[in-house]
Amino acid sequence: MADEVILMENICKDFKVLNRHEGLKGSIRDLFSRDYKTISAVKDVSLKVGRGEILGYLGPNGAGKSTTIKMMTGVLEPSRGKILVNGRVPYKDRTANSEHIGVVFGQRSQLWWSLPLIESFKLLRDIYLVPEKEYKEMLDLYSSLVDMSPILNKPVRQMSLGQRTLSDILAAFLHNPEIVFLDEPTIGLDVSMKAKIRDLIRGLNKEKNTTVILTTHDMGDVDALCRRIVIIDKGQKIYDNDIDHLKSYFGSYRTLKMKFAGDRWEEVLIDEKKDDVMDIIMKMQKQEKIRDIKLDEISTEEVIKKIYEGESA
Amino acid sequence: MILRKMFSLTRAGIMESLHFRLGTFAALIGNITYLILVYFLWKAIYESSGVTEVNGMTFSDTMIYLILASSLFTVLEMFVVWDMSRSIQSGKIILDLLKPMPYRLYTFWSYSGSHVTMFVLTFIPTFVIVAIITGGAIPMGINLLWFLISIVLALVVNYNMEMIVATLCLYTESTWGINIVKETIVMLLSGASIPLAFFPEGLRHAVEFMPFRAVYDIPLKILLCKDQAATLPGVLAYMGIQLIWIVALSLAGNLFWQISVRKITVNGG
Amino acid sequence: MENTKKHKRGLGFYLNIYRKILVQDLKSKMSYRADFIISTIGMVMTNVAGFVTFYILFRNFPQVNGWDYHHMLFLYAFSLIALTPVQCFFDNNWNLRFMVQSGDFIKYCFRPINVFFYFMSEVFDLKGLGQLLFGVGTLIYAWHHIGIPVTFFAIAKLLVFLFTASLFMISIMNIAAATCFWIQGSGYVMVIMFRFKDYTRYPASIFSGIFKIIFTFVIPIAFVAYYPALMVLGSAHTAPLLSKLSPLIGLLFFWLSYKFWMLGVKKYDFTGS
Repeated sequence: MADEVILMENICKDFKVLNRHEGLKGSIRDLFSRDYKTISAVKDVSLKVGRGEILGYLGPNGAGKSTTIKMMTGVLEPSRGKILVNGRVPYKDRTANSEHIGVVFGQRSQLWWSLPLIESFKLLRDIYLVPEKEYKEMLDLYSSLVDMSPILNKPVRQMSLGQRTLSDILAAFLHNPEIVFLDEPTIGLDVSMKAKIRDLIRGLNKEKNTTVILTTHDMGDVDALCRRIVIIDKGQKIYDNDIDHLKSYFGSYRTLKMKFAGDRWEEVLIDEKKDDVMDIIMKMQKQEKIRDIKLDEISTEEVIKKIYEGESA
Repeated sequence: MILRKMFSLTRAGIMESLHFRLGTFAALIGNITYLILVYFLWKAIYESSGVTEVNGMTFSDTMIYLILASSLFTVLEMFVVWDMSRSIQSGKIILDLLKPMPYRLYTFWSYSGSHVTMFVLTFIPTFVIVAIITGGAIPMGINLLWFLISIVLALVVNYNMEMIVATLCLYTESTWGINIVKETIVMLLSGASIPLAFFPEGLRHAVEFMPFRAVYDIPLKILLCKDQAATLPGVLAYMGIQLIWIVALSLAGNLFWQISVRKITVNGG
Repeated sequence: MENTKKHKRGLGFYLNIYRKILVQDLKSKMSYRADFIISTIGMVMTNVAGFVTFYILFRNFPQVNGWDYHHMLFLYAFSLIALTPVQCFFDNNWNLRFMVQSGDFIKYCFRPINVFFYFMSEVFDLKGLGQLLFGVGTLIYAWHHIGIPVTFFAIAKLLVFLFTASLFMISIMNIAAATCFWIQGSGYVMVIMFRFKDYTRYPASIFSGIFKIIFTFVIPIAFVAYYPALMVLGSAHTAPLLSKLSPLIGLLFFWLSYKFWMLGVKKYDFTGS
């Protein structure tokens, strides 16, 4: 990739935390304790992201995802390693870096709580020194992608969670940044809102060729948006490749779906190398009558689950 | 069983406030600094006035009173109003109401831990230092026991007042305004910022019929054996006043709370 | 291109942004009138209670350290006005520790503008204005009774030194608020520091020994009213050197408090999320 917007080489991040002791006695001891331990949140992670990519950045809770994002946005300084975002060292020049990135944290609005969305937009236009023409064009683009009329004149505090997330995403793209970081943008949203938000992200990425770094626990987001995914666990990168490639790792796995009375579907994950599909169907059939059967390839969700559980392919 | 449940809340509270280790030290230093300010102000006031006693209070009486009142303030300080307003605005109140213990009781016992910690960390050291420096100005006898009882009563009075004010948060989002009104009135009329002895006659009489003096003034009078507290019947009468306020305020507070909660559950919060 | 952009974010840029946020904020505040009324009542009550305290003291003791009623009243009013800016423009300091604890603070770090400015600009607190009115009224009354001549020079001096005085209280609160980056449970630090403000209205000549130094240079409450007010009350000849230097010292304190606050931002590792 010639056009790299993010480059990380052997990045590490350590935190020092106080060793807490248990019980009432422990609390009193902690009052005077100097007993610190070092926790490595991110260990030796290297990563390259090209322009216009939508990268799924996955990992179980506490794996080091947010820490990595914070280093890319310049909020945290890595303990070791080299990091370049748009050719800049982010923590050294946080202000310059932030002109060229947009950030959305699901459920944490960065907009002015009491202001109508359009006023927040105008303020952001001034803060990012966006020329009037580009600002107008961006708003036109927004209107073509999503219906803004219910939210444009509504104060953020009165919005539903979905509307708020939508607004935050629009605000993050307003100054046409090179990279947008989306941290769990669809968390807590209903199905139709999720689809709306995914369409919007895809649309903006396509129109503006913006790089998107997406962290999520929702495999629907990944399936809908990302071609490439990076998985991090316990601070280490354990996977970095295409989704399709990932699935081929688990090529011998199939999802067996069976329909029972009352339109009830049940899923069983089977490994063709070990299990016999017919055996399983027979066993189920003895217990309850099967109405329908489907054999699918493994879902992304299950692949990720297998990886988190430490099952190497 | 119920008592065990409650004491486990106290214990958790103590542990939590100890976890704020540096904060605890900072509070200690801040309080000492504050007391030094109080000392200088009153020293200057007494020196400039040229008299040794004002309304039955000598300089050291005033100082002992104010120093102990200010450390009592730290012990009794609660953020119930803020907690309540945050839990209403975030909707957490619904979960709180579902807890297997009545909400008011739950709040009280969760705070008891920080009261105990603050009493041990702030009041006792202050008291010991004041007692040593003033060398015998504080009577050391059965009054200490009465004082402890009276402090517990004061705590309950204070809690009931806090809770009534906190209930107002169900009606308005203006937490700051509510809280500042409460704080100002309690600080002034309880005698925590100026001993009630200095108040003009009329105001002093009015204050006697208000619950605020049951929080700072009465426990301190009992500790210092001042006024009526010099005799046992006087001490009991003071505690009687505290008890009456506890009954009155908790009845009123409970009623207000019940009505208000019904209002939010009906309106769907 | 990069450089010109950076250059554009000067004082004018920030004033413009602040004005726009302020206008919008006021507009939205108008729709919460109940909140405004209750807060104003609260502010009026605090000031009335403060005045009652002051009055009760002077009823019992007609003068303190050679300061008579009207001079004390002047100092009192001076400190009230000097406390207005910290309440109006820097009130968000009170929310800092909640935001830091919950991790919400991180949102201030993603914009290409100064974090301190961005954070403070978010809250403009109207209720401080009630105190300003109360202070101005009291100041005029005391000014009149002391008999300071009303000249352009005197008024200009008053304004300069009120501004100076306000810098000190802002610095104190900045530092108190910023302690939350290092220590948990820092709420007490702010509460106590804010209680100190009640002692800014007494002449700092009451302090002696080491505490005179502490309350002048470490926790500069002597500067919140006393030293700057002396410049207005007396002539340049009689005022102590510290009074004359107070504008410079005020700027220095503000700068230090700002640096401390920003150091906290840098130091804080945002593990809260």
